[in-house]
Amino acid sequence: MAPAPAPAPIQSAAVASLMDGARADVAAGRLANAAASLERALRIEPRNARLWQELARVRLKQGEYAQAESVAARSNSWAGSDNRLRAENWRLIAQAREARGDAAGARAALEAAERQQ
Amino acid sequence: MSRRRKSWRYVRYALLSVALLAAGFTLYLDFRVRSEFEGRRFALPARIYARPLELHAGLRVSQASILEELRQAGYRTARREGETGWFVREHDGLEIALRPFAFWDGPRPARRIHVAFENGTVTSVRDARGRDLPLVRLEPLPIGGFYPANNEDRVLVRLAEVPKHLVQALLATEDRNFHSHHGVDPRGIARALVSFLRGRGLQGGSTLTQQLVKNFFLTPERTVRRKVTELFMAVLLELHYDKNEILETYLNEIYLGQDRDRAIHGIGLASLHYFGKQVEYLTLAESALLVGMVKGPAWYDPYRHPRRALERRNLVLRQTRSLGYATMEQYSTARAASIGVKPKAPVGTSPHPAFLQLVHRQLRRDYDEADLRSEGLRVFTTLDPRVQRAAERVVERKLAQYDKGKRFGPPGLEAAIVVTDTQTGEVQALIGGRDARYSGFNRALDAARPVGSLLKPVVYLTALAEPSRYTLVTPIDDAPFVWKSRGAPDWQPQNYDKTFHGAVQLRTALAQSYNAATARLGTEIGVERVLSTMKRLGIERELKPYAATLLGAVELSPIEVAQMYQTIASAGFRVPLRAIREVTTQDGRPLRRYPLEVKQALSAGPTYLLTAAMQGVVREGTARSLVKWLPPESAVAGKTGTTDEQRDAWFAGFTGDRLAVVWLGYDDNRAAKLSGAAAALPLWGELMASLHPEPLALPRPEGIENVLIDPQSGLRADWACSDALELPFAQGSAPVERAPCASALGVTVEEVKQEAKSWLERLFGR
Repeated sequence: MAPAPAPAPIQSAAVASLMDGARADVAAGRLANAAASLERALRIEPRNARLWQELARVRLKQGEYAQAESVAARSNSWAGSDNRLRAENWRLIAQAREARGDAAGARAALEAAERQQ
Repeated sequence: MSRRRKSWRYVRYALLSVALLAAGFTLYLDFRVRSEFEGRRFALPARIYARPLELHAGLRVSQASILEELRQAGYRTARREGETGWFVREHDGLEIALRPFAFWDGPRPARRIHVAFENGTVTSVRDARGRDLPLVRLEPLPIGGFYPANNEDRVLVRLAEVPKHLVQALLATEDRNFHSHHGVDPRGIARALVSFLRGRGLQGGSTLTQQLVKNFFLTPERTVRRKVTELFMAVLLELHYDKNEILETYLNEIYLGQDRDRAIHGIGLASLHYFGKQVEYLTLAESALLVGMVKGPAWYDPYRHPRRALERRNLVLRQTRSLGYATMEQYSTARAASIGVKPKAPVGTSPHPAFLQLVHRQLRRDYDEADLRSEGLRVFTTLDPRVQRAAERVVERKLAQYDKGKRFGPPGLEAAIVVTDTQTGEVQALIGGRDARYSGFNRALDAARPVGSLLKPVVYLTALAEPSRYTLVTPIDDAPFVWKSRGAPDWQPQNYDKTFHGAVQLRTALAQSYNAATARLGTEIGVERVLSTMKRLGIERELKPYAATLLGAVELSPIEVAQMYQTIASAGFRVPLRAIREVTTQDGRPLRRYPLEVKQALSAGPTYLLTAAMQGVVREGTARSLVKWLPPESAVAGKTGTTDEQRDAWFAGFTGDRLAVVWLGYDDNRAAKLSGAAAALPLWGELMASLHPEPLALPRPEGIENVLIDPQSGLRADWACSDALELPFAQGSAPVERAPCASALGVTVEEVKQEAKSWLERLFGR
């Protein structure tokens, strides 16, 4: 297998502008547009763990808890050695589980977040 | 009472009844005319668009493919100040005058941009004042529609947009007294009568209003009763609506020709279809050509009968001139003009019907058929025209080559291809058969064929999920194997090369696609468990738990195979394949979005191990010939598949950015000298090579470590083994025993590195 790359996000100006747009959309409550902008960004930089995380956050706001959890996990799979990013993903997963009424799962996720530090 | 008075009363009753009947009939017609004309909205087809190309600095795309995309979108190659829809070449790239376009998330106004290229990459995108633009979308190519009954297609126009000379030419030719008559034109009827009496048959004499009534409300038969109804309705229509409303509706309704199976209706679509321009830009000559076609669109078809169409156009021009609608100068210029129709690119209902079938199927989950064919929905899809064209070209070229070489049986070999984005599950291209323009049987979606060895990765994935029992180097016995089950004949799988290979490493059994070893492994872990892995990978079909399933005695369509491999390519996350991104109403209001969805279906570790084994298939196994198309650094993961008597040839695999599944075979299932490696793999290789793939390099998941292994023995190697291979293992599962080639010192990899470093330091005397 090819050597595992450190997935240092490139974050081009194009992706940065889409991310800014997504944040503005979230602030204005246009969550579907925010998600669409992040998906556009992911088509440009699919390995960017930060983009997946932003998408997880928007899904959480949309009340799409199962998706929020899966997308945060996907972010983890691109996170490489970025432990802070991982921890944040676990916290998102905890929130999603909490919202779905899975208290035990939420606790387990928070513990996983702790372990990343 | 006298008898006379009595009968007089009867007469009066009779007269009254007749009057009442006539009034009733008129009221009925009046009701129909008003309700249908008012309630009448033209059925507008759903319009389907490809993905928009997103231009940004760093995008890997050649100038040539952008030029192709612009030409496909009808952009002209000359500067036209004040207009949009053109581009010119500059020293370092292109200047493009983008047309305005209503994207699903809002309209994008017309704008002028400069795009610079270097070595197949966009280096900058700037606006007219030279400021950097982070991201600009080109308008997406229209790729067809879902049409109303009879495949009627139209683009609505307002009367104000239609050039005056077009309306004048129409009235001069079809209805000179339009503005003065009341729906029926006695002078016109008289002219038609004279022509009839002179033996020229029953024709003409109908006003535009009558023609409209005929097309709108009535069947085409020619009876007196129908004619009377038509006259009544025409008069009623004129009572209720003004001339402009009637004229505008007429211009949108009129039938103006056929593009394969698609019927061209209305002046708006006709000007796009024949001249590639909006109706407001039509010249007098072009307008006259279209007006001339009203009388008989097939007879005066400018493509098939150019001379006839030209004569008819000139007749229209003469009549326009004779009524003083055109000056002598305008008339002569128009008469001298060539026929001027754009080069014909017949598309019919779509240039990519196979992909449209997939879109249609996905839309039908959420929309009624009737709505799809009448509401004018705008559907934004995931089709990448560049990938689609590349796939079409590869199929065309390779199959012609195979036919010619008669390498694979008689002609008529069929093909199917699915190409997706490995991360988002978007379907970028779909080939349903060797004739890409044919909209019939779609093999990519509907041909369920035995998948053969394409199923083996599922067996190995199931095994690798148990790292305490199976690793990439676990020995598997590739010796004759017999499976006995009650009520079924014994199952005794043979190897492709008709020999058995004894104890082989698990990764080798997959790389070389050994049947006996795979059958033994699969029955060891249990067929049921393998089937459950398949379900998790995204196969929804009910499968019978037969042992033969392990070796691919399972029928799946290419798109199902793509879904299954997609889950492997996206690290165990199932991403449903999607062909649609968004749907809006005809005026751009968003209706529905089809978001990216992911679901963790398998743990990351085993999927990563399997991917490494599938890279082995390409590096040293049955797919090693792929190196002819892609260098080893691409690190492609894939699997060949060949079925009994070589009826089906498959190759499925993925790079860092795309996944593709290729199937070849005959519709009648005949045995053909096809193998996955010899027949399907070359199509895959050629297609992917033309798309300049990203290498496959995945981050190593938690709980996986790389260990140096001696490829011969499958035991732990170190610096002393010359051809040691770095393989991934679940933590703690790698072999402990040291290979014969390893140094006797018993040092670990880290120690070796340390050793080498200090050795170098000694050597250079630091």
